[in-house]
Amino acid sequence: MFSLWIAAVFLFSTVYTAQVCYDRLGCFVDTVPWAGTLQRPLGKLPWPPERIKTTFILFTKQNPSTFQEISALNPSSILASNYRGNKTTRFIIHGFIDQGDENWLKDMCTLMMQTEDVNCICVDWQGGSRTGYLQSSHNIRVVAAEIVYLIKYFQSNYNQAPADFHVIGHSLGAHCAGEVGRKIKGLGRITGLDPAEAYFQNAANLVRLDASDAVFVDVIHTDSAPMVPYLGLGMSQAVGHLDFYPNGGEHMPGCDKNIVSQIVDLDGIWEGTRDFVACNHLRSYKYYADSILNPEGFVGYKCNSTEDFVAGKCFPCPTGGCPVMGHHSPTFKAPAGTVNMKFYLNTGDARPFMRWRYRVTVTITGDRDVSGTLRVSLYGTNGNTRQHEIAKTKLRPGSTYSAYVDAEVDVGEVKKVKFLWDNSQINPLLPKLGAQVLVLQRGKDRQVLQFCGSGSVREEVLQPLDPC
Amino acid sequence: MRTLLVFIACSLAAVMAAPPQNKGIFINLENGELCFNSLQCKSSCCHRTSGVSLARCVHLAADKQECSVKTLYGTYYRCPCESGLKCKSGISIGGSITNTNFGVCYDPSDTAESS
Repeated sequence: MFSLWIAAVFLFSTVYTAQVCYDRLGCFVDTVPWAGTLQRPLGKLPWPPERIKTTFILFTKQNPSTFQEISALNPSSILASNYRGNKTTRFIIHGFIDQGDENWLKDMCTLMMQTEDVNCICVDWQGGSRTGYLQSSHNIRVVAAEIVYLIKYFQSNYNQAPADFHVIGHSLGAHCAGEVGRKIKGLGRITGLDPAEAYFQNAANLVRLDASDAVFVDVIHTDSAPMVPYLGLGMSQAVGHLDFYPNGGEHMPGCDKNIVSQIVDLDGIWEGTRDFVACNHLRSYKYYADSILNPEGFVGYKCNSTEDFVAGKCFPCPTGGCPVMGHHSPTFKAPAGTVNMKFYLNTGDARPFMRWRYRVTVTITGDRDVSGTLRVSLYGTNGNTRQHEIAKTKLRPGSTYSAYVDAEVDVGEVKKVKFLWDNSQINPLLPKLGAQVLVLQRGKDRQVLQFCGSGSVREEVLQPLDPC
Repeated sequence: MRTLLVFIACSLAAVMAAPPQNKGIFINLENGELCFNSLQCKSSCCHRTSGVSLARCVHLAADKQECSVKTLYGTYYRCPCESGLKCKSGISIGGSITNTNFGVCYDPSDTAESS
C-alpha cells in the first residue's frame, strides 16, 4: 500500500502540462506519453535548438574523408556542398554522451562510399547529449525536429522523396530516428543500432522507435540484458520489422576481456575506453560497419530464442532464404504486414566480425573408446578455415557427433574436409580414430555435402575426407 | 603531452586492474588479451606485430597461413601452426636469435600422398 502511495505521488506530481515552443521546429509538451507513465515517470522539456546545436556533417563520394557542414538555414552551404538530390541520403545519429565527429560515424560513411554513391550525413548533437540521461532522452525530440526540417528542405528544393532517406541511429539516436520517421510519412528506412532501453522499453509507440516509423525498420540488439542488474543499455524488446540478436543479443564475444586488455585496445586507448564502458552496446555499429562490405557474413536465422538457436532448431535457412544483418538487410523481402521478426546469428570476437555457419555431422570409427577432442577444418575454392572443435567428450567408435561451425572465412564451395582428434590423456595403447562419413550442411542455402574417409589416424594427425 | 596522457591511462588501468584476479588475468587468457608469454594464452600463441608493439593472445596459424617455428622467446611475430600441421621454414641461426624463422603451415600427410 505504501509503495502504491509513493508511486501515485511520483506519477501525479510530475504530470503538469508544460509546453515549450521553438520557431521552425514546433512545440514540445511533457504530457503522457512523454512523461508521467510507468516507464517514464519524470518529465523534462527539450532544450532550445541553439543550445543543442545540431549540426550536419556531409560526406559524399567526392569528399569521402573531408567533411562539409550543411544547414537548411544557410542554403548556400548546401549549394556549395557535394549534396546531390538524385542520390539516396543516409543520416547517422549518435547517442548519449557521444558526438557526431566521433570516428565511427565518419568511418561508416567512408565505408559506404566504397560500394555506393550516397549523401552520408553525420548528425552531431553533442550540445544536447552531454548532460543527464533524462534531459538527453528528451533533447532527441529537438534533434529529430532539426532533421525533419532538413529533410523537408531537401524534399521541396531537391525533389527527394521520403523513400530516398535512410536514418541510422545508435542508442538514443535510434529513438531520435523513430521520431523523424513519425514526422515524415513513408520514410524509406530506419536502422536502430541497439536502441536505448531506459525510458523507452515498453513505452508508447509514439515515444520510441517502432515498425510504423518507416517503410522498413531493421534493428540490431547487442546489449539487451536488463539494465537492472546487468547494466544492459539496449532494449530487448523487438521494435522493427526485422530484429537481429547477434550472439543472443546480450553478451558479445570479445567484450569480457580483462580491464587492461580492454582499454589498451588495438584501435587505441580512446576506442578501448569506450569499449570498457559500453563494449556490448557499441558492438552494434561495429557489426553494421563490417556488414557494409561483407553482407554474406551476417546471415540471420529466424528463431524465437537464443536457446533454440544454440540447440540448432533454427538451422538452416528456410527455402525462401535468410536476411542479412546490417546494411544490406532490405534485400530480404519480409512478408507484408509482419513485424518484430527475430533473427539470430553468431559473430566473431574482433574485427572482422563476419562468420559463415555450417552444421557438421561426423561418424567416427576406431579400435577403442577414448576421451578427447574432435576437430574439423573446411577446405574450399576460396581457402580453408582453421580447426573447429566438434566435440570434447568420450569418443566411441560408431557414434555420431554433431556441431555447428561458424567459419571465419568464406571458403566458397567446400572441396575437402580434414578431420583431426587429440587425446586428453596419455594412452600407451596408441589408439586410432577416423572419420567414416561427414555430412556438411551450409546454412545460407541448405546445400548438403557428404565426405568420406578411409581408415583411421593417430592423434594429432590430419585425415583428409573427400566428397562421396 | 599525449604520450604522458597515454602513460597515465595505462598505469591507471594497471592499478585498477590489479586487485580482482578472478578472470583470466594472468593465465587462461582469451584471444585479444594482453600477454607476456604464450603459456598464458588458451590458444598458446602470444602474438606481437613488431618488436615494440604489445603482445596479445591470438589463434594458432591455420593451414597455408604464415607461421613461426616454436621459439624460446615465448612471443611470436607469426603464430605456430595448429595441431597436426608443420611450419615449413628454413631454420637459421640468425632467425632463431631474432625470432624470425617464418614459414607456411602445411599438412605433412599431403606431401606424403603427392610424393
